[in-house]
Amino acid sequence: MRRLSRRSLLALLGSGAAGLVFGGRADAQVTPPGARALPSFTGPGPNPYWNGINPFVIYPQKLPLLRMTDRGIQLETPRPYFLTPFTPNAAFYVRYHLDLIPNAVDLSTWRLSVEGNVERPLRLGFDELVKKYKAVSVAAVNQCSGNSRSRFQPRVPGAQWGNGGMGNARWTGVRLRELLASAGIKSGTVQLQFQGLDRGPGPEGKGADAVMKSLDLMDPALDDALVAYLMNDEPLPMLNGFPVRLVVPGKFGVYWTKHLTWIRALTSEDTSYWMASAYRIPDTPTANTTPAAAASGTLKTVPIGHVRMPVRSFIVVPDGSSKLPSGLPVRVQGIAFSGDGPVVKVEFSEDDGRSWVEATLGADHGPYSFRTWEHIWKPSRPGKHVIAVRATDVQGNVQPDAPVWNPGGYLWNRIEREALIVGAAS
Amino acid sequence: MTRHRSLAIGLLAAAGALASASTALSQATKVPGVIQEGNYDPGNLGMSMQPAPRNDDAGAVYAVGAWPTYTPPLVDGDGKALVQSFCGICHSTTYITMQPPLPGATWEHLVDKMIGTFGAPIPEPAAQAIIAYLKSHYTPETRKE
Repeated sequence: MRRLSRRSLLALLGSGAAGLVFGGRADAQVTPPGARALPSFTGPGPNPYWNGINPFVIYPQKLPLLRMTDRGIQLETPRPYFLTPFTPNAAFYVRYHLDLIPNAVDLSTWRLSVEGNVERPLRLGFDELVKKYKAVSVAAVNQCSGNSRSRFQPRVPGAQWGNGGMGNARWTGVRLRELLASAGIKSGTVQLQFQGLDRGPGPEGKGADAVMKSLDLMDPALDDALVAYLMNDEPLPMLNGFPVRLVVPGKFGVYWTKHLTWIRALTSEDTSYWMASAYRIPDTPTANTTPAAAASGTLKTVPIGHVRMPVRSFIVVPDGSSKLPSGLPVRVQGIAFSGDGPVVKVEFSEDDGRSWVEATLGADHGPYSFRTWEHIWKPSRPGKHVIAVRATDVQGNVQPDAPVWNPGGYLWNRIEREALIVGAAS
Repeated sequence: MTRHRSLAIGLLAAAGALASASTALSQATKVPGVIQEGNYDPGNLGMSMQPAPRNDDAGAVYAVGAWPTYTPPLVDGDGKALVQSFCGICHSTTYITMQPPLPGATWEHLVDKMIGTFGAPIPEPAAQAIIAYLKSHYTPETRKE
C-alpha cells in the first residue's frame, strides 16, 4: 500500500475508511458498490469505453457528470443522457480552457459589447437584449472539436473525451446578424471576434489570459448564429455560459463562446493564439494525416472553423452493462447528427458492419439537432455479438469505417460499435 | 397509541420471521431460479448528499457556489512539488493524470509549450526537473497509476 500523508489519510477516513482497501487508489475515489471500477487511465491503446474513464462528480447546477479536469473545468456527459433528443441542462457537458470561471455575474453591470469596425458601438444590458430584439429558437448540437479524442492511435495529448463531449439543446436568443445590423458593420470588416467573461492567470496576449475565436464575416454559418439567453427554455447554467453564449449551428463548440461579452469587427484576420496556433486541422480531406507528416512541420493547416461537424451516430442502449437473453427483442436506441444539414438515414448492423438495415428515425427537430433512431433487434444465437450504426446526411456524407488521425485529435466520426453478450434463455 | 404499539410489535414479528427464513439457506435456494439473494455490501461508499436549494435574494447578481476540485494525487517522486506548484499556477495537475501515458518527447514538448507559448514563469532548472518527473512516471513505459 502506498504511503499516505496525514491529510490524505484524514480525507480517506472522512469518506469511509473502507476506501483503504483499494490501496493503489489512495485518493478519495470510491468504487461503485457491487461492481469493479474502471481503470484510472487508458493507453497507450485507445480508450475502449463509450465515455472517458473519469469518476462521477457534482458541480453547481449539475447532476453527477464525469470529471475530466477540475481546474479549469471539463465535465463529460454520461451515456444514458443521450437517450433523449434534448440533453438536460443539468447533464450538459462542460469544457473550459482557462481556470478563472465566473461564480457570480451581476446583470446590473454586465453589458454585451459590439465594437471595433462598426458605425454605432453597442453596449447592451441583458434586459435590452431580451426586450429590444426578436427572440428566435433553434435546436442545435454543441460538440467539442475533440470529442472522442481518446480513440486516437497513436494517442494525442488533450482532453481525453469518450463520446460525451456533446449535447443538444433548444437555444433561444437574438440573431447575431440582427445585432450586427444594429451596430452597422463598416466596410473593410473581414472577421468577427468573440470573447467571454472566462479568463486565465497567464500573461497577457499569449493565450493563457483569454480565449478569443473569430469567424469570417461572410461565413454562411453566421446567418443561423444566435446570441442565446435560453437553453432548453431555461437560463443557461453558469458552466454553460450564463448569461449569454454564442450559438453557431453546424460548427464545433469552440466557436460557441460562453459568457459572451465582446463581439469585435476586425479589419484583418485574427492572428491571436486561439486562431493562429490552436484548433487547427490538416488541410486534407477529412482532416486526416499521419504522425510522420505532422512531425515534418510542413503540414498545411486551417482553422477548424473552416469545416462543419462531420456526420455521426451513436448507440446509447444497449450499453453492454447487462447480458441479453437470446430470443428477446431488444430496442436498440441512439442518436445521430451532422453539421452539414439533416441526417437522412441511419443504418443498423447486427454483424459488425458486414450487412446493414435501415433503422427507424425519431421526430425531426430541425437540421442541426440530434435525431433519435431505434431498431428492434432479436438476437437468437447466444455468444458475443458486435452491433454497429452509421448515419448518412443530406449531402450524401456517410460515416467511414476508418479512423481519422491528426495531431489535435479532432473530427473523429468513425462508425460506432457495441459488443454485447447474448446469453442462453434455457 | 395502542394501535401504534401493536403495529410496531407486528413489524418486529415480521422482521423476526424474515430473519429466520433467510438463515434457513436451504429454504432460499428452493425459490425457483434464484442462485443468490440478499447480497448487500456494507457502507456508504459513493454516496453524495443532494445540494439544498439556494436562498437567493431578488437582486441582479446570479451566483453559484465555489467550483469544487477533485484532484487525484500525483505519484510520489523527485520533482512532484515543483510540478504541483508551477503547473498549478494555471491548472490543476488533473491535466497530467487525465492524459494517457505519453512519450517522453511529448511531455517535453508540452512543458516547452506551457513556457514558450503560454508564458508560464518556470525557471529552466525547474522545467528540467518537471520534465524528468513526467518522464519517470507518465510515459507508456513508466506509468503505473
